[in-house]
Amino acid sequence: MQVVVAEDLFLLRDGLTRLLSAHGFQIAAAVDTAPGLLRALLEHRPDVAVVDVRMPPGFADDGLQAALEARRQMPGLPVLLLSQYVEELYAREMLADQMGGVGYLLKDRVFTDNQFVDAIRTVAGGGTVLDPEVVTKLVGRRSHDGPIARLSGREREVLELMAEGRSNTAIAQQLFVTEKAVSKHTTSIFTKLGLAASEDDNRRVLAVLAYLNS
Amino acid sequence: MGVMWMLMILIWRMLSKILRRYGRWALVMPVGGMGAALFGLNVWTAATVLLALLLGVLLALVLVRWRQAGRSGLLPVTMLGAGICGLWAAASMARSWTAGFAVFNAFAVRVGGAQVAVPKPPTGAGFQGAVSLRAASQAAAKLPRAIAAQGRFINFSFSGRPGNLVAGPFGGLIARRVARPQVVILGHSLWWGRLLILGSLLLLALGLWLSPRAVADLRALITRVAPRLERWRREGNWGILLVPVTSFGLTIFGVRPWTIAAIVAAIVISIRWPRLAADLVPLVLVVFAAYGFMLVSRWVPGPRVLATPQPTRFGAIPVDSSQTSLLAGVEASALLAFGAWLFPRTIGAHSRGKPTTGHEVELAGRVQRLTETRGHALDAAAAELRRIERDLHDGAQTRLVALGMNLRALERMLPASPEAARALATEAIETSARALSDLRLLVRGIYPPVLADRGLGHAVRALALDTALPVELDIDLPGRLTSPVESACYFAVAEVFANAVKHSAARRIHLLIEHADDLLRIEVSDDGVGGADPANGTGLSGVERRLGTFDGILAVSSPPGGPTMIAMEVPCRLLSPKISSCSGTG
Repeated sequence: MQVVVAEDLFLLRDGLTRLLSAHGFQIAAAVDTAPGLLRALLEHRPDVAVVDVRMPPGFADDGLQAALEARRQMPGLPVLLLSQYVEELYAREMLADQMGGVGYLLKDRVFTDNQFVDAIRTVAGGGTVLDPEVVTKLVGRRSHDGPIARLSGREREVLELMAEGRSNTAIAQQLFVTEKAVSKHTTSIFTKLGLAASEDDNRRVLAVLAYLNS
Repeated sequence: MGVMWMLMILIWRMLSKILRRYGRWALVMPVGGMGAALFGLNVWTAATVLLALLLGVLLALVLVRWRQAGRSGLLPVTMLGAGICGLWAAASMARSWTAGFAVFNAFAVRVGGAQVAVPKPPTGAGFQGAVSLRAASQAAAKLPRAIAAQGRFINFSFSGRPGNLVAGPFGGLIARRVARPQVVILGHSLWWGRLLILGSLLLLALGLWLSPRAVADLRALITRVAPRLERWRREGNWGILLVPVTSFGLTIFGVRPWTIAAIVAAIVISIRWPRLAADLVPLVLVVFAAYGFMLVSRWVPGPRVLATPQPTRFGAIPVDSSQTSLLAGVEASALLAFGAWLFPRTIGAHSRGKPTTGHEVELAGRVQRLTETRGHALDAAAAELRRIERDLHDGAQTRLVALGMNLRALERMLPASPEAARALATEAIETSARALSDLRLLVRGIYPPVLADRGLGHAVRALALDTALPVELDIDLPGRLTSPVESACYFAVAEVFANAVKHSAARRIHLLIEHADDLLRIEVSDDGVGGADPANGTGLSGVERRLGTFDGILAVSSPPGGPTMIAMEVPCRLLSPKISSCSGTG
């Protein structure tokens, strides 16, 4: 699997490339500026890009802007954003095109390499991965609304995990319940929120996020 | 009594009809009518009513914006005054019936050249009290016919001084002494007295009823005019008062060559030497006040004043009776007080080298404000640094120490017990994650990342997403501002949002940000319960101080019951025109 890594700090860039190589990814390019990232993405057309939000030359949200631009030119290009902080505003902008293949994680999550690598694979497969911090905010903001307030505690947990981009299997493992129980919960959630149920994990997550984002 | 009651109701109905139809100003006519009834239809009452009408029309024409205040500001005062005068007149009527009879009885009243026969009171000393009252009425009932026969005036003498009797408005007589225009009402019947009391009470009631509205109108007028007066006071040089103050001398000393010369000198001085003019104003005031006190102290009730050929005047007041001397004393006190108030602002300030002209005062005020806001800014920066130091010390720093200890322990344990080492490693990873999370929070509190990345508009949008209430955004900000201004405005909006969420019980917040003519304007309004006060609690006052560093201001309108509207204005320039405008509901 081809990966482009964009990170301006040498230590982290080096760590990321080593980590990804160790898990069998091929590093197509490792760049340290936003224009370099855009060029590399257009040139290599990788399976997934791992991008730091704050990068030269502006040291603002240059990485995010480059990723958005690349997705405009190559719709659906899978991008996993990494950042020292997560902003709901940026998550909304990434999710806005509803194409999937989007991830937005805190840099801390790199520590737990299995989850991190899983996340990269999910994004590369067109899935959506959101940091729990963003999801908590998204769900928290809607918690006063009627439909979400009607969810049971367990259903809310399942909803949050779904919004983070977990599959039914992963949710079942996390909550120590059977997959059957999870799918029962998801059906109930979709009924209560008035969403059309879907067997496809990715589409299901997109529906939930679109609902939370609205 | 029943007739009286019906009359009252009738008058009230008429008045309310007039009020409804023509507004409060229409009351000038009945008030004027009442005045004419009280004081007779003479030049003065006609002039007063005409003046009031003219004033009203002028106010209505010129001060269209302040129509309400202009209309009703003076009217209640006039009514109250007329009511009090009416009661006073009614009271003095009761007295003058007896006293008036004494006048009749004691002095020869002559019509033309012939004496008029005046009935004597039944008992010698009994011309005071009820008996003489009736007798006076009877005498008065006879006299008008004599007057009608002979013309308007009846000449008579009073202590050997000439005087005349004038026909009163209701068929009574007014004994008027020519030398001293004191009016004695004679021979009014009791019925007219009752009507007078009734009318006066009616006027008083109407005046009292109108006065709260008038006070409210006047207050509105004052809030409009006050800033102008304040500006005039700040810019104005007190020297311009010298001419009007010197002209006051005309009312005391009359038009003489030297008073005219003094006024001309005042004009020259206030144009040529404004500082000297300002210093002279309180001195002249004090001199006039002293002269007034001297006049008042010299006046003693008694024949001495009668002997004075011309009454001494002070201001517009002739000092010739105990009442007017009291008034003149009040006037002199007011002059003295004004002079004393001006003293530290003119002579005192000049002798201490303090600024007095508009420009100097403005500069001095500016320096004072800059000193204040600089102090606030330094205090705020120091407090912020202390907070960051404390947060780092208690948060990330402590966690890094723990992390180091864990790693050291892990290093020792690794060979002996790999299982325990693994547990320690997990703990170390968690500690580092917590340290990072602490640092993130801290950074967000120092300078929010979105603010750094994209500026105020987007940062406020992100803030709106984080706020527990729906926020309507209306942001028109075509570029970035300097980062200190952005930061101050961001935290100001954050504080106001937090207040709205915590205290207002609002359902939604509306935020407007716009930049025009080098002025950033931020308005936050909510539909909550109101009652926000910058003087209460430190939140809003902190915001005010923080904005003050940039010459920004904060205005709060939050009546109890809501809604709350907080406006902030900061003068600042846009750094770069950049597409950063966004709006919507978040």
